[in-house]
Amino acid sequence: MKPALADRLSRAVVGCYPRRWKQRYAAELLDVLDQHRARLRTVLSLAGGAMSTHLDPDYRMQLRLMPHLSRDAKLYIAIIAAIIVGVPALVILPMIPRAIRESRWQPSGSDSVGAIAFSRDQRTMVSATGGPPWEATSTLWDVTDQARPRRLSVFEGGSPATISPDGATVATNAFGGRAEAALWNVTRPRHPVRLAVLSAGLSGALWGEAFSPDGRILAAASTTGLVLWNVADPARPRLLRSLAAAPLRSDDPGPVPFGVSQGDLVFSPDGRMLASVSGRDQVTLWNVTRPALATRIATLAGPRDYFAALAFSPGGNLLAGVTYHGSVLVFRVAGPGRPVRVTTRPGILASARFPGGGDAPASPCGPGPGCRVPAAYAAGFTPDGRALTVVIDRPEAWPGMAARDTVFTWQVSGSGALSDLTTIFRDVSDAQPILAPGDRIVADGSLTGGEVHLWTLP
Amino acid sequence: MHGKFDGLGRFADPSLLILTSLSDGPKHGYAIMTDIAAFSGVSMEPGTLYGALSRLERRGWIRPLAAGERRRPYEITAAGQEVLAEQLRSMQQIVRVGRQRTATA
Repeated sequence: MKPALADRLSRAVVGCYPRRWKQRYAAELLDVLDQHRARLRTVLSLAGGAMSTHLDPDYRMQLRLMPHLSRDAKLYIAIIAAIIVGVPALVILPMIPRAIRESRWQPSGSDSVGAIAFSRDQRTMVSATGGPPWEATSTLWDVTDQARPRRLSVFEGGSPATISPDGATVATNAFGGRAEAALWNVTRPRHPVRLAVLSAGLSGALWGEAFSPDGRILAAASTTGLVLWNVADPARPRLLRSLAAAPLRSDDPGPVPFGVSQGDLVFSPDGRMLASVSGRDQVTLWNVTRPALATRIATLAGPRDYFAALAFSPGGNLLAGVTYHGSVLVFRVAGPGRPVRVTTRPGILASARFPGGGDAPASPCGPGPGCRVPAAYAAGFTPDGRALTVVIDRPEAWPGMAARDTVFTWQVSGSGALSDLTTIFRDVSDAQPILAPGDRIVADGSLTGGEVHLWTLP
Repeated sequence: MHGKFDGLGRFADPSLLILTSLSDGPKHGYAIMTDIAAFSGVSMEPGTLYGALSRLERRGWIRPLAAGERRRPYEITAAGQEVLAEQLRSMQQIVRVGRQRTATA
């Protein structure tokens, strides 16, 4: 039996002990299981213990309802019940999505990790700290072996940061903290060379950067606008277009309160559209077929809640968004007619109040350890477009909820309907998750500990 | 092997090992397991350990100490030490007789 399965079965069996016994011993027993390498005999030992405890007069609760039965009869009943429950469980449990396969933390500095991005082949990863601009750094990683990421180099400029699909160029927040992006040549990954600093007169904090799928266009967004650069020759970038942020609603409290790298900026797979979080409950869809003449296609409205992560389907016809309250929305953004919302899944955090008491994150929230992001999000479609994965990291301070990293996966129909939800939990807190291309690797950047955590979805 | 261990049935061996482990000081569950593995070579599983711990505690032979976060150390009581000593004397007697008889066989 595989240790991971034995461990899960063992913990499940602990739940089968009598309630009063569990109140007294379960926490200790689970602590022992945390340190013990579970095997088949561990499961059998616990199952035997649970059965014995149920027959123990001190814990025997329900069997006292059958005082006319002999001890042997009760034992037979318990064995038969165990078989009735256990056999289906042994069949069903392997069908439940397996636990996370690998997980490794690697230090990348002492500040919070505000951004993580992967090259298309998933061999190279960049992580960037969200600390003060004059201290922020980016780290380039070789993640060919996901269990043992290797740090290749550290260079100046922090979050937001992203890497070109071919892994040759990294864009960071320019050193100095102005709303400028810096381009780095990382073809010699141990010796990055800064190629250019891109400035387009943006003000406000830079919160997002994205390369187009062909790597020729770089989009950068601040709280006041969005700029497109031609970076086909990253040593000589050309400004293509500067776009104002979408108009904010009259009742909007002010600038988009993105902190660290919350919020999202994504190109469609064909590079013809760009989606950007643009205001309270808004996503703006841009036509960037001709980047120099980019125009707004539509402003997509969600619930009264900020969008925190966006993802295009591989076919580019669907755009999924996840909000701060964990609502998941799917828009049809291609085909006849204007973009339209086709699916709304209420948020798992919908009833929660954000730290500070409001129903929205504190505003504004800038980079740095003093800014506590209420939760962190990532979204991505599988390469076949048939499933949508959403990762939500809840911080420990979330009122009334345990700190758990939750991975939701829905099946997606061609029309954008979501069905067959599955969930995986993992105890990770205060982390900014990113789904790597391919949707099977989640990288968590610690918002408090300066670490990167890689794990592989089953 | 009889006397105060009567009634423990198949749990007698784990109980003896646990009492022996606790006889040199308090330990929490996992420390007991590793200690038993070290001094006896017996790899005790958590289900067996906690089945025996709950019985020993009920009989008053061990007592739980204040818990840490999730770990609760146990210490042997005076009654437990007495039972352990008696059990060891009984085993020594068995060992002595067994050696004599195998030597003369």
